[in-house]
Amino acid sequence: MERNPDKFWNPYLAGAVLGLVLLSAFVVMGKGLGASNTSLRLGVTAIEAVAPGHVAATPSLARTRAEGHPLDNWLVFEVVGVLLGGFVAAYTSGRLKKETLKGPRISTPARWGMAFLGGALMGGAAYMGRGCTSGQALTGGALLSAGAWVFMFSVFGGGYALAYFVRRAWR
Amino acid sequence: MTFFPFESLVGIQRELGMVVGVLIGFGFGFTLERAGFGRAQKLVGQFYGYDLTVFKVMFGAIVTAMLGLVVLSGLGLADFRAVAEKAASSTYLWPMLVGGLLLGAGFIISGYCPGTSWVATASGKLDGLATVAGVIVGQVAYAELLSIPAVARFHNSGDLGSLFLWDLLKLPNRAGPPIVAIAVTVMAVGCFIGAEKLEKVLATRADPAARATPAGRSGRFVFAGLAASALTGLALVALPTGTQAARQPRTIAPLDLARSVVDEPWKVRVLDLRDAKACGEKRIPGSECVPPADLGKLGLSYVNPARTLVLVAEGDLPAPPKEALAYGGELWVLQGGWQAWQAFALEPPQPPGPGATPAELELFRLRAGLQSALTGMKAAPPPPPPTAAPAGPPRKGGGGCGS
Repeated sequence: MERNPDKFWNPYLAGAVLGLVLLSAFVVMGKGLGASNTSLRLGVTAIEAVAPGHVAATPSLARTRAEGHPLDNWLVFEVVGVLLGGFVAAYTSGRLKKETLKGPRISTPARWGMAFLGGALMGGAAYMGRGCTSGQALTGGALLSAGAWVFMFSVFGGGYALAYFVRRAWR
Repeated sequence: MTFFPFESLVGIQRELGMVVGVLIGFGFGFTLERAGFGRAQKLVGQFYGYDLTVFKVMFGAIVTAMLGLVVLSGLGLADFRAVAEKAASSTYLWPMLVGGLLLGAGFIISGYCPGTSWVATASGKLDGLATVAGVIVGQVAYAELLSIPAVARFHNSGDLGSLFLWDLLKLPNRAGPPIVAIAVTVMAVGCFIGAEKLEKVLATRADPAARATPAGRSGRFVFAGLAASALTGLALVALPTGTQAARQPRTIAPLDLARSVVDEPWKVRVLDLRDAKACGEKRIPGSECVPPADLGKLGLSYVNPARTLVLVAEGDLPAPPKEALAYGGELWVLQGGWQAWQAFALEPPQPPGPGATPAELELFRLRAGLQSALTGMKAAPPPPPPTAAPAGPPRKGGGGCGS
């Protein structure tokens, strides 16, 4: 197989394939795709290791234990698959490499800090919006949920509104 | 209505469901990586206009999955509304609006969204790993903040229940999704063409490492596929297989209905079509008295199709009223109608004689139990008046990402 790290799939073809993956989740499982709920479950698992009583006392955390262990959930297994799929795709395309991606005008530690900060913002936002770009915009959007479409346009709105101010990180 | 047994896959065959979860996740992660979503520069290109891959892949996926489900629903292999009710979360207008804006802001700051940060991590990107850590902290922090009443109030504000675009347009559950899907497809393809033009204009400014991939031949192939699916979806609404006229409701025996009513009353909605007086005197526990003339008031084509609808007439009901056929979920007709019910459930069964088979004994025990359970109850209170068409289906709780 040709390994060119700068060669990507045609975006429309990738969209169609991603759509078929999503459709198979709808049809086989009656579920959509998701990413951020697994993060909450990992967080709850970590808290339980440190402060065992705290999760049970906090209803918004305790609901991840409805099926037993917080990690015993379909979305967690799906994210395990995402990691495997991402790894295999990166390896076979020559993109598997330990590195930090950033613009030319920002230092590596600053890039990590921004990545963490942006991640934390997205974590809260995804909880607030009942899902992230995968679970809400993609899944809900394909199912024509009114809230998902509001969320999706908001995501693009928020990104465009801030893009100018953080351009130093990227350009 | 749903052909594929996803309920049983989730319930009984849980392990198999988890394996399927890993497989579907594999496809998701593999595709995201190959689209270039393991790279922050490729993703943020969307917000600087030089690479609109995010938009193309995302809308391409939305349109594909949507049209696929529309076509499967048109063929009777799936039920768009039922899947949508199950897999999409309810609409909470204000938190979704604000959450979307904040997520967009976080996206441009970190360079990833929560899903693509997993893919970036899997391909060795340390900034992706930092984003993953951030999302975990953010999710937990927000969950902690929910114990503040004001935050919780905002979190649940603008609760519109399960609300879909075709509900907003007052379209029924059957024809609504294909009509809205066509509009979305036309809009998306229009935007794709616009995106190609915009990228050409801005291409000179692009970082060579993050240049957009042109639509090319495979792009046109995908457009043609989308157009064909959209037309198929629309055509299936008009075809006889897609209309309610061809729908043959199945019959349910009194024994099975009795089991449902006693064991799982929340799964069935029993409509008694006999005249109001007869129904008021004696009826199946939990049933609603709805003379056929009042069926239209229930708005059955709009209500949540989660429960099985069971129709009870005086005797057999060869041709159910069209208002009932418009119901989106399972529709059953009680075999033999009320008379069969009375003979089965309300009259004491004959005790089996000596030498009866175990099956006969079992049936007798069941019938005797049913009979005492159903007749031993106090006289039924006067039936509630049939509720007028509800504006929307019942609400359900919000979930996390994709739950």
